[in-house]
Amino acid sequence: MNGPARAGRDPIRRAYILLLRIYPSHFGRRYRDDLIQAFDDRRGEPRFCGLRGGGRLVLFLLRDFATSVPLARGPRRDDRMATMMNRLLQDLRFSGRMLAKNPVFTVAAVVTLALGIGLNAATFSAVRGLLLKPLSGTEAPERLVQLYRRWPGMDYGSNSIPHYQDVRDRTGEVFSDVAAWYFTQIALSDEGRSERIMGLLVSADFFRTYGATPHLGRFFLPEEESVGPGAHPVAVLGNGFWRTRFGGDPSVVGRTLTLNGYPFEVVGVAAPDFRGPVAFADAPIYVPLMMQMQIDPGRNLIEARGSNMMNVIARLNDGATVERAQDVLDRLLLQLREELPDDYEDQLGTTVVPQMEAGIHPMFRTAQVGMSGVMMAVVSLLLLIACVNVANLFLTRARERRKEMGIRLSLGAGRGRILQQLLTESLLFSVISGVAGLGLARIAIRLLARVRPPMDGPWAFAIEMDGTVLAFTLVVSVCAGILFGLAPALQSARPDVLTAVKGASARRPGGSRTSRGLVVLQIALSLLLLVTAGLFIRSLQGATRIDPGFDEPATIAVTSVDPGLQGYDRQRATVFFDRVLAEVRALPDTRDVGLSDWLPLGLGASDRGVEIPGYEFAEGERQSIQYARITEGFLEALGVDLIAGRTFTVDDDEGAPPVIVVNQRFAEHFWPGVSALGRIVHTAGKDREVVGIVADGKYRSLGEAPTDMMFLPHRELFGTELAVVARASGSPQNVLREIREIVRAADADMPVFDVRTMEEHMGIALLPARLGGSVLGLFGALGLLLAAVGIYGVMAYSVAQRTSELGIRIALGADRHRVVRLVLGEGIRLMVIGTALGLLGAVAAGRMVRSLLYNVNALDPMAFLGVPAILVAVATLAVYVPARRAAAVEPVRALRAE
Amino acid sequence: MPDPDLDGILPLTPAVFHVLVALASEAKHGYAIAREVEDLTDGRILMGPGTLYGSLQRMADAGLIEESSNPGDAARHAQRRRYYKATRLGRAALRAESERLLRALDLVRERTGG
Repeated sequence: MNGPARAGRDPIRRAYILLLRIYPSHFGRRYRDDLIQAFDDRRGEPRFCGLRGGGRLVLFLLRDFATSVPLARGPRRDDRMATMMNRLLQDLRFSGRMLAKNPVFTVAAVVTLALGIGLNAATFSAVRGLLLKPLSGTEAPERLVQLYRRWPGMDYGSNSIPHYQDVRDRTGEVFSDVAAWYFTQIALSDEGRSERIMGLLVSADFFRTYGATPHLGRFFLPEEESVGPGAHPVAVLGNGFWRTRFGGDPSVVGRTLTLNGYPFEVVGVAAPDFRGPVAFADAPIYVPLMMQMQIDPGRNLIEARGSNMMNVIARLNDGATVERAQDVLDRLLLQLREELPDDYEDQLGTTVVPQMEAGIHPMFRTAQVGMSGVMMAVVSLLLLIACVNVANLFLTRARERRKEMGIRLSLGAGRGRILQQLLTESLLFSVISGVAGLGLARIAIRLLARVRPPMDGPWAFAIEMDGTVLAFTLVVSVCAGILFGLAPALQSARPDVLTAVKGASARRPGGSRTSRGLVVLQIALSLLLLVTAGLFIRSLQGATRIDPGFDEPATIAVTSVDPGLQGYDRQRATVFFDRVLAEVRALPDTRDVGLSDWLPLGLGASDRGVEIPGYEFAEGERQSIQYARITEGFLEALGVDLIAGRTFTVDDDEGAPPVIVVNQRFAEHFWPGVSALGRIVHTAGKDREVVGIVADGKYRSLGEAPTDMMFLPHRELFGTELAVVARASGSPQNVLREIREIVRAADADMPVFDVRTMEEHMGIALLPARLGGSVLGLFGALGLLLAAVGIYGVMAYSVAQRTSELGIRIALGADRHRVVRLVLGEGIRLMVIGTALGLLGAVAAGRMVRSLLYNVNALDPMAFLGVPAILVAVATLAVYVPARRAAAVEPVRALRAE
Repeated sequence: MPDPDLDGILPLTPAVFHVLVALASEAKHGYAIAREVEDLTDGRILMGPGTLYGSLQRMADAGLIEESSNPGDAARHAQRRRYYKATRLGRAALRAESERLLRALDLVRERTGG
């Protein structure tokens, strides 16, 4: 017998309980518990256990509903209901028999449609989870907006804490709450166990802004922000983290945890549905913004108006609109520009993005929407191909059943009754396919939700099946089933009785025109799908071929450390890093080693404003340039080519004259045609001399256009979060292990993170292309398979229909080869038409996805020639097999069949 | 002569007949009735939850059965279950139906020489 825990998860049981509403209310109220009990008793029987038993149970219950619903109604309506129910039952039984009689047909059609439906449901879930669905656990999400500062060349700039405070305090007429947050690394230790997590620093009104509720304890209080920095060491746990890390123990509230060496008291736990401010992560811990100096030592963000790290979210007042908010923010900016001209002269405005439209980040919105659109289009195509297949199968069968229908009509069956029966059959068919499709979708969603970017973090993609996805699947499957099952069936309910019974009209030209049309459509759709998939696969290849500007990423070992998390000051941290650098350099299997606060292709980069004597920035031209703070050895370890001058040395520290290394593009941008060496760049508070020029590389992502980049000496501009980057001459894994040991020997408590080779690190930059390429490749292969099955089905059927004609030709002396050519020729004609149409569609589709492709022409010859060649080869095979069979026809048998 | 109260009740449907047989000796809960009916008919009458309680409701409305207290069944969930027993009318109907069937059987035997 099922335990209560398992019974709760039994999907059949849940569906059964839902379906109990079919019963009249008095019956349902009276017997609900008994019915469920009886269900549980049945479910416990051996014959209804397991997967097959479950199937049997579903059929048993359906029959039970059909008999008992009229039984449970009042005696009056009884007769009509009973007749209807009986009829339905009879139809169901008959349909079931029809489907079971032809198992190959049924299985082929169900699998085809289930694949189409399942992939649609899964893709829809993913798109919905990441793009369409409001953040879970928030109240009235349509009134939330994200605020970004706009600078020349940057539409979605972050905010500083002082700027956030001004916005919060001076926009009361449009915003009821304004909150700020940012993710940061936190070393958490509790009862001797320490780990590094990605925590959130949030303003006191953060939870109120989102409308989140605490599961236990409380959230932050206003005085935890108003009373000076560092005064309130309190923390709130995310629900998921509370359950996994603390086993859901309620006594955690009130306990003290050590965060970055400081004691913090846990004051509350967030509700399970609120998972933080982004849809792709489950925030583990929240700390008040005013504790920034304790959590993130070494810099004071609380007072630095120029340190833009914060994401700002605001809740619109009742009646306030985005336009009014925009006006108020523009006015505020004018005021701030008057009060603080130095800080605000560059800012152009404020970008207001409704939270519901922001997606992962508004900056990626176009790419996200584009990629989601491509995915949805591709799976829709796949579904369409599946539907064409199903239509074909039903059409074929409808012709076979024309005789049966004719006989039934001639015996006096009403057309309505036959129609009802056919409708039942298509519905039964689509429901079976829909259920199978949902099963597939569940598997696919589980796989999708497990995708993790190759980066440490509290990743949790909000992809799940919910009511909307279920409704979507239901609608899709019922529409698909009716449209493609019933329409052909209708044809068969309309034959004229006499010819149908005689069976003479088995080859009406109209019917075969339909199926030829379907073959053309099939080929065109498959080609469109395959060429698009091919483009993305080529794009993946293109992305791996892009020169990132450094050599052999597989032999570069990277390990990040942040002694600031352990409370080190600059002097201690310098001693620590010098020791680590010296020991790593001394390892026998490393060549070059250096430190950097940034790694290429990690999606992120910081910028700084620059001024170049003698260069006028154009209106709207971006005045801030990406930069990295690096030590000697870093560019060498990466293998970046030095074009002119020198890279940094140990001596480029605070005492030395300020210097800078720039990339080639930077040099050509500001000093076209002349040498950049010796020129001056004003940035980071000093006039710096250009001492070196290095080759261009890819900095944020592989797909980016060439960009300016500058390198500043870390020994002068210190920071504590750094990556140790070493070029291994032997096994990079050994070097990684050795670096970890060296760090541990220097400080046993120092957490190391993001330990990996550069190649692994680059996985982040390649993730979109890899994911897109492999998913589309899979979809493409499925499309090819479905198309081959469909083409074969239609051709085989058409050959079978023409058996007698071909037999006569052979009997009259036609050469068998000619018969093969005849059949083949017809198939190839359809193929050519379909291919031409498909290629036209693919050209249009290629235009649409151009912006999403790396390093590949939208009319890539491989995709546009190679892929159709494969399709034509497969399709020819699908035609050739029936053609051969046609040629083998025995004339006598063929004639007798007439 | 059958009891006049049985007008409109006889003949019994096979399901009702077998439920009454199942309840002839003692009070039972719904699922036990369904299992017994299944045993009595070698699995030919398989009652799902809805059919079972639909029939029980009708039979109770017709006065053939009534709810009863738990007759001391100590099994799992026994406290939560609803128990039924045959009423006097129910037992009379079962007897009358059996006699009707016996007469029908006699008739067939007589005519076919079985």
